[in-house]
Amino acid sequence: MGALKRLNSYLSKYKWAVVLGTLFLTGANFFLVWIPGLIRKTMDEVEALKNADYDGADTLFSTLFSTEAGIILAENAGYLIGAVALYGILLFATRQTLIVSSRKVEFDMRNEILEKLMKLPQRFYAKYSSGEIYVRATEDVNKVREYYGPVIMYSINTITRAGFVITMMYVVSKDLMIWALIPLPFISVFAYWITGYIHKHSIIIQEQYSELAGQAKETFSSIRLIKAYNRLDNEQKKFEKMSEQYRKKKLRLDMIESLFHPALNFLIGISLLIVIWKGGEMIIQGSLTVGNIAEFLIYVAYLTWPVAALGYTTNRFQKSLASWNRIEEVLDQPIEIESLTTVQEQKDPKSTFGSIEFKNVSFKYPDTTENVIKNVSFKIEKGQNIAIVGRTGSGKTSLVQLIPRLFDPNEGEVLIDGQNIKSLDLEQLRSAIGFVPQDTFLFSDTIGDNISFGIEGATTEMIEQAAEKAQVKENILDFEKKFETMLGERGITLSGGQKQRTAIARALIKDPNILIFDDSLSAVDTKTEEAILKHLRQELSGRTTIMISHRISTIKDADVIYYLKDGEIVESGNHQELLALEGHYTNMYNKQILEQELAEI
Amino acid sequence: MGKKETKKAVDRKLIRRLYFYIRPYRWFVVLAIGLTLTAAFLGTVRPKLTQIAVDDYIAFNDLDGLLKIIGLLFLAQIGEFVLQVINTYITRWFGQGSLFSLRNAVFKKIQNLNIQFFDKNPIGKLITRTTSDIEALSELLSDGVVAIIGDCFRIIFILYFMFSMSWELTLVTIAILPALFYATFWFKGKVRISFLEVRDQIARLNSFVQEHINGMDIVQLFNREKKQQDKFKNINAAHRKAHIETIFYFSIFWPLVEMMASFAMALVVWYGGGRALMGGVTFGVLLAFIQYARQFFMPIRGLSEKFNTLQSALASSERIFNVMDIETEVQEPDEPKTIVDPKGEITFEDVWFKYNEDGEQILKDVSFTAKAGETIAIVGATGAGKTTIINLLLRFYDIQKGSIKLDGVDIRDLSLNELRSNFGLVLQDNALFSGTILENITLGNPDISREEVIEAAHKVEAHRFIEKLKGTYDYKLRERGASLSMGQKQLICFVRALVYNPQILILDEATSSVDSETEALVTAASDKMMKGRTSIVVAHRLSTIQGADRILVMHKGVIRESGSHQELILQENGLYKKLYELQYKDQLVEG
Repeated sequence: MGALKRLNSYLSKYKWAVVLGTLFLTGANFFLVWIPGLIRKTMDEVEALKNADYDGADTLFSTLFSTEAGIILAENAGYLIGAVALYGILLFATRQTLIVSSRKVEFDMRNEILEKLMKLPQRFYAKYSSGEIYVRATEDVNKVREYYGPVIMYSINTITRAGFVITMMYVVSKDLMIWALIPLPFISVFAYWITGYIHKHSIIIQEQYSELAGQAKETFSSIRLIKAYNRLDNEQKKFEKMSEQYRKKKLRLDMIESLFHPALNFLIGISLLIVIWKGGEMIIQGSLTVGNIAEFLIYVAYLTWPVAALGYTTNRFQKSLASWNRIEEVLDQPIEIESLTTVQEQKDPKSTFGSIEFKNVSFKYPDTTENVIKNVSFKIEKGQNIAIVGRTGSGKTSLVQLIPRLFDPNEGEVLIDGQNIKSLDLEQLRSAIGFVPQDTFLFSDTIGDNISFGIEGATTEMIEQAAEKAQVKENILDFEKKFETMLGERGITLSGGQKQRTAIARALIKDPNILIFDDSLSAVDTKTEEAILKHLRQELSGRTTIMISHRISTIKDADVIYYLKDGEIVESGNHQELLALEGHYTNMYNKQILEQELAEI
Repeated sequence: MGKKETKKAVDRKLIRRLYFYIRPYRWFVVLAIGLTLTAAFLGTVRPKLTQIAVDDYIAFNDLDGLLKIIGLLFLAQIGEFVLQVINTYITRWFGQGSLFSLRNAVFKKIQNLNIQFFDKNPIGKLITRTTSDIEALSELLSDGVVAIIGDCFRIIFILYFMFSMSWELTLVTIAILPALFYATFWFKGKVRISFLEVRDQIARLNSFVQEHINGMDIVQLFNREKKQQDKFKNINAAHRKAHIETIFYFSIFWPLVEMMASFAMALVVWYGGGRALMGGVTFGVLLAFIQYARQFFMPIRGLSEKFNTLQSALASSERIFNVMDIETEVQEPDEPKTIVDPKGEITFEDVWFKYNEDGEQILKDVSFTAKAGETIAIVGATGAGKTTIINLLLRFYDIQKGSIKLDGVDIRDLSLNELRSNFGLVLQDNALFSGTILENITLGNPDISREEVIEAAHKVEAHRFIEKLKGTYDYKLRERGASLSMGQKQLICFVRALVYNPQILILDEATSSVDSETEALVTAASDKMMKGRTSIVVAHRLSTIQGADRILVMHKGVIRESGSHQELILQENGLYKKLYELQYKDQLVEG
């Protein structure tokens, strides 16, 4: 039960709220059991008065407001209302302490998970799918929250209420208590079983539902082809088949669900029935009063919901634990890539960082067997402009990702200015690098905020300048809100080229010593590309640049071009030298000249 | 006021249209109402039976009588249980049935809408119409209405039994009702607003998390961990605040409801106690009223919840019927003609076309003929109208002026099925589906045998790689064929076009996304396929263009040049000539 201990440790910050909440809830249940007691008392007293041949006033009004009986009734009713009011107020206080705490714990937990996610290396993101991580950071937290909220509250409620109610029952009549309690365990077990069943089948139905949506997606996104091949009817059939499966699976769950409330109702009804039956017998024997029956009927009604909740709660608790285990897996992941505790002292990174060296570097992704980088060694001098080319999957991206330590190599080392990058301060290292990744990811934020992502306190001028260098300023000024334009879900969608240029601006604004372009101009037309490159050459002379590209036009002016094949450098040299080799590079060049110019017609 | 009435009229219309789907089950609906009515009676009669037990038997020490009443109570209990189970299942069953047919109808409607609709509407929206919008109707179409009727009956029965025992005590009991109604409405109003807020906050929180998982490398590369963490904390805090506000309303409402029910009970005891002393109200009646006071609140709560779901269901059905009301523009001819001996001759005569009334003219006076067996290549920049020609030929749209003929018959006079069965289409984004290779090739057409598929695959050299896959033709493709290379996917599309054995082959930039390794393979395959067929080729690849019988050079919706390769290269300052010279230059480099 180590997991449970760790779960509870989140509560320690709110332990007083939990203690208070427990007290409130206990108090609420304490006053609750007064209600049936008072009703019984009233009825018994009325009966006593009646048997004493009570003949007081002759109107109801005077009975209620002026006689001795009236005083008794008013007193009891007053107590009753008092007990009800206290119960209500304490219940309010319970929810305000216990459930509110659960939301606060949830808040802490979400922060902790995200903080962890920020620190985890890309190795982690390569290993788990984004969907998996997402579920752990969202859905699973919701389920764990249920432990802190409903699970704890209902457990306390069930225990204290059952405690008080059963004690009262025992005091009134031990025999009737036993009779009344007989059906309750069934309610509990039934609720446990049925919530489990419903949960299991809800997942099955959810899966079928996604399949149905998937089918619709597939059909709608290939609609041209489907129409051209006259396959509308076939698609309809496929969809209807899934639709039918969905209906069937849904009905299977419906069958159990239609049992749920009626069966619960039935079991509760049976308890009440037993009370009337056995209680009736006891009245006839003279050992109980009608007031006792009324009292018992209410006791049983009070017990049924907490008892059903017991089943539900147990189920929830199991789900919470399962979710917690998944969250724990994330929280316990090693961070791997972080600054060593004794970082060698760095001066101004701008003035020093520049030359990069790969020494016998090999690298493979987690859970794979083959190295994507195989014993690669090369050196880039400070201020050099180099290019990496090669087929898709040859390892270009993997190679440059090692420089800002998104991944660490499995063998060999990467040096900057002769120092192993592992010994450098991670933040300093990364702030010296301007990286434009292959998939130009922008956040759902304003364009301005996206560009100034990497630096603090960027001025409007800086943002505009960076946008201008990346040749995206004009596009942005065309938007109604200019740099304040929102991107993403709640805003506009940029074209592929605009995105890439925005991502370039984001890297340039950092004024980095080392610039890495991972195929970052692929969606930009050649004219714009030329303009961007021109700017770069002017502005960034003296800075180290690494460019990955499929386009010869982008890289032909590089100082050194490396041709990467299956994780190995097979050709290197400048454009002319490589063409003279008549190898892979020449091949690629010839093909591209043709394609490019045809596209321009 | 006027607005309210039109809204009501809309709602009524929606309900009438929804009724169409439930109509096949109308007798089951009647049965369900009957069952729910009986169950409501059996549920509400029990406190009355308790009263009889106390007043008529226990009071007279009649043990046998008590047993008899207990027996009746038990029967009522069992009866209610059985009826409720059957009733719930029946309502779910016909609800699922009508949802099933509605879902299929929506899918069919969307499928038959024209291509432009798919370009204009994000796929996600269309999926929502066929899935979650339908799901939102499930309660309305299944137990929604029946349950409302049941709840109403329950209230009526309870009132009936209470009044029959003591009208005074009834009035005392329901004195609490106005307060309960008021509290419920207050609560619903507050909770709806704060639920909307909660929903917004959850969406914000989740999309932040989603986005940052996807873009974590950017966050790390730009040293933004702390900043983004702070941002998250703010969003997270807003999320917490929204929840805590909702908790506040719930912590007031639930205790309040319980307090009111108990308060009603206190009133019954106080007033009833006095009445009992005066005679006229027995202990049995008091006992029954204590039970009714609790029972009474359930259907009221149920009703207020049901009305909420009904509202959102109507909103969903409005969205669904909006789609159902879109007119299908391309209509089947009333009396379709047939082509007796299809040859594959295509004629465009003075074709003018634009997608929208007030949109840009996409094609301007386009005329050309492709004789049977000819290969026509179309070249031109993006947006020149190349793909539009293909869209019109397959009648994805209707033209505004001019005519398009297939073997001399206007394509608008042919049934869509017959027209389209003449074509084999290969697109640039080689569309594959999840399913086996075989299914991807036949597209589920049972008339195409496995042998035919294998034969066709041999022809385009696709057999070799398919054979190497696990399960060969039964190899299951995942997510649009993610496990295959571009070229392999394209070859499968070729096989698909081939097994349908069309008169006319259409290659829409079919070879442009293929990498060099498979390029030769694909070229050979397409050459083989074009033999003996009329072919329309939109392509960048020169060899295909060169071999064409006629090349159409398109520019801004107009055919600027037309002729064979030999003819076109002789045109001074011609667009095609320029193209050819580029090619020539390239050959120099290679040489």
